[in-house]
Amino acid sequence: MTDHSRYLDIFLREAGEQIAALQKGLLELERDPEDRSRVRELMRFAHTVKGSARLLGYDGVGELGSRLEDLLDEIAAGKRSADGPTIDLLLAGTDALARLVDAVGRGDDSAFDVDGFLAAFDRGEVPAGGVAKTVDRDEAGFGDTVRAGVKTLDRLLNRLGELLIARSRIEERLATLKGMAAGLDDATATALRQFHRDLEGEFREVSALAQELHGDAMTLRMLPLSTLTGGFERMVRDLAREQGKEVEFRVTGSSVELDRALLEELRPVLLHLLRNAVDHGIEPQDERVLSGKPLRGTITVSACHEGNSVLIEVRDDGRGIDPVLVREAAVRKGIVSKEEAELLSDEEARYLVMAPGFSTRDFITDVSGRGVGMDVVRQNVERVKGEFVLRSTPGSFTVISLRLPLTLALLDAMLVRSGGETYAFPLSFVAESFKVAAGDIVTAGGREVVTLRGGTIPLVPLASLLGGGERPAVPPSGRIEAVVVRHREQFLACSVDRVIGSTEVVVKGVGEQLREASSLSGATILGDGTPAPILSVPWLFSRAERGVRTGFRQAAAELQAARTRGKVLVVDDSLTTRAMEQGILVSRGYETEVAVSGEDALEKIRRQRFDLVVTDIQMPGIDGFELTRRLRAIPDYREVPVIVVSSLAKDEDKRQAMEAGAQAYIVKGNFEQGTLLDAVEALIG
Amino acid sequence: MEEKRETGYDINSILSGMKEEYWRGVSEVQEEAGETLECVTLLLGGELYAFETVHAAEVLRIPKLIRVPGVPEVITGIFNLRGEITAAVDIRPLLGLALPEIGERGRIVVVKGEKFLTGILTEGIVGIAPLPLDRYETAGATRSEYVRGEIHDGDRLVLLLDLPKLLASPAITATGH
Repeated sequence: MTDHSRYLDIFLREAGEQIAALQKGLLELERDPEDRSRVRELMRFAHTVKGSARLLGYDGVGELGSRLEDLLDEIAAGKRSADGPTIDLLLAGTDALARLVDAVGRGDDSAFDVDGFLAAFDRGEVPAGGVAKTVDRDEAGFGDTVRAGVKTLDRLLNRLGELLIARSRIEERLATLKGMAAGLDDATATALRQFHRDLEGEFREVSALAQELHGDAMTLRMLPLSTLTGGFERMVRDLAREQGKEVEFRVTGSSVELDRALLEELRPVLLHLLRNAVDHGIEPQDERVLSGKPLRGTITVSACHEGNSVLIEVRDDGRGIDPVLVREAAVRKGIVSKEEAELLSDEEARYLVMAPGFSTRDFITDVSGRGVGMDVVRQNVERVKGEFVLRSTPGSFTVISLRLPLTLALLDAMLVRSGGETYAFPLSFVAESFKVAAGDIVTAGGREVVTLRGGTIPLVPLASLLGGGERPAVPPSGRIEAVVVRHREQFLACSVDRVIGSTEVVVKGVGEQLREASSLSGATILGDGTPAPILSVPWLFSRAERGVRTGFRQAAAELQAARTRGKVLVVDDSLTTRAMEQGILVSRGYETEVAVSGEDALEKIRRQRFDLVVTDIQMPGIDGFELTRRLRAIPDYREVPVIVVSSLAKDEDKRQAMEAGAQAYIVKGNFEQGTLLDAVEALIG
Repeated sequence: MEEKRETGYDINSILSGMKEEYWRGVSEVQEEAGETLECVTLLLGGELYAFETVHAAEVLRIPKLIRVPGVPEVITGIFNLRGEITAAVDIRPLLGLALPEIGERGRIVVVKGEKFLTGILTEGIVGIAPLPLDRYETAGATRSEYVRGEIHDGDRLVLLLDLPKLLASPAITATGH
């Protein structure tokens, strides 16, 4: 055994596994101290570490392993009980073992005072000093694996994302190519079509490969939830012990895999939620006894897949969140006024604990972070396009559910057009999209709502939520397209110009400069290379709460009014005049048709019915007087009003127009928008 | 940052080329040259502004900018800089300048801050050349806090921007609320 280095890797890996198993086993033993068979198993772990270490000459590790083995042996033999202090001692020894092995791996175990530690250990003292968390690190990274930098993986994924975007561009080009055959002679067209088919075949293959590659690269970034929760068990236990509480920590679904970047955002969130659960959720033991609960509190972290998201719940069977206390504290802190607090439902009041600056002695102590914590939790969850739901029954339990996307790199999104730009909604927040007739929009509680899903949902224009000040437009069809988004079991309908549809998009970070932009959940790049914001639904809700301009009913009413307005024929040989008059009339909702001469006008009235005619006098061919006279001769047009608009200002001309049968005469010199409209409105309303 | 250089053109080589050209021009006219500062000179609010070229990454024609809701107005929009979402800022209001329309000659100068790249909208790029430091004066109190000094280059007055200060300013960064 001269060449240690050859075996060091193997030793480190083995020792790491054994130590992790030892730690886990000890915590289980603590839960069930009577299980002797487990003690034997633990002895084996300690024994293995001891043996391998001695073989390689790591005497410190060997000695420590040996002491642990001895102590466990005493328990197994019934000479010692697996009580709290003993378990503490064993855990401390295991931690020291982990740190020592870690130091050996780095080649600098000389600084470690093994003898001093062993002396304290033998006296039954738990040596002071923090607990090194080495378990996570050693679990992975050996065997049939290679290490890759996270940056390398991210770059790989970024490039593959670009590849997918390029793919959609090629797809568009292929469609163009296909269309080119149209204008060609037969032979060339046939050849081109054949070429297109072949090229498309090749493209499909490359395209599928690109998709698979992207999928593979994505899985490289996936890690099981246990990479996080492994370290939490110990933290929960120690924290509870410090406060004289007993807590059983359970994890279910720890093999559920999530994107690494997501786990990173999740770590502080879970840490904080667990600390809160221990500090404020789980009651002191005497209190638990009084309320007839088991002495030992239970905190559960569970994870499961739900559709294309992961649902993570942190549950404690503690005292719950009392909405009355939360209201009081929020008022005291000036987060809401007394009146506002009273208006909140119990459900809504609980969410006040997530407001920035919220802190109450009744709820948040110094241990879990001076009232900044829940705010950060909310921000982190929103940043990863996750959703946060809080449920609680005072005196009984608190459950905090986080719904998170599987990955941060790809997103199922619904694309919409609004205000000439394309936006994406995370599909997990979209309940549905629908079209509603403007007439079905009603007002309730000062808000415009639509009836959907058995209830009423507020309808707001997306453009207004995004900061546009314009009035909502009701399309000529009278039907409004809208996307219903969901957040904390509430719904909001956002009207858009057009729903493009749902698709998988590549999510791009927006960088440090826009990192705090709470309106965004990132951005994606569309097929044409332009970016599209991915909207944060919680942000949209907060905007909607602050109130935005809606006014669908008014817009719809105007549209309705315009539709019943009449049809006007504008006759003039001057293009400018025609355009101007038409513009004025259309802007007020009149439908118009133009004619370039008297003859043209007569032709047009044969084909359709007009409610009013506006005509010039001097035109090539028959003039306006003649046109009016001829109109009066047609039975259908005997009563149809005629307005003469002319640059002739003499009274003689006006008189002639009246005699011909015109109802109004407007001189172009003082031709103003108002004059024409007044006349038209006076005649046909 | 490394991969940026692979795909984009390398501004440093272009700049050094321009610099050589400039020096050739200068040496033909006059031999002695005082101390200078290598700067990008640009047009903002109809006035000449400059900052050290080391801050600049590249110059682009103005692409389609997509508005971002709920951010300071200075952040005009985002654009696609070779796959990276990058924000464009119109810093003219921060400098207290007029806002003439940015037309055909308008460009974006992509600059490197400590934490991010961002594009500064300009009415045009005047040039990339050394400015004479012996004609430098510290900016008067009436100038914007982002202006470090004034350089009288011939009959032109060029205002030197304090770019690091500008890029570190919360005014060009989105805030949470």
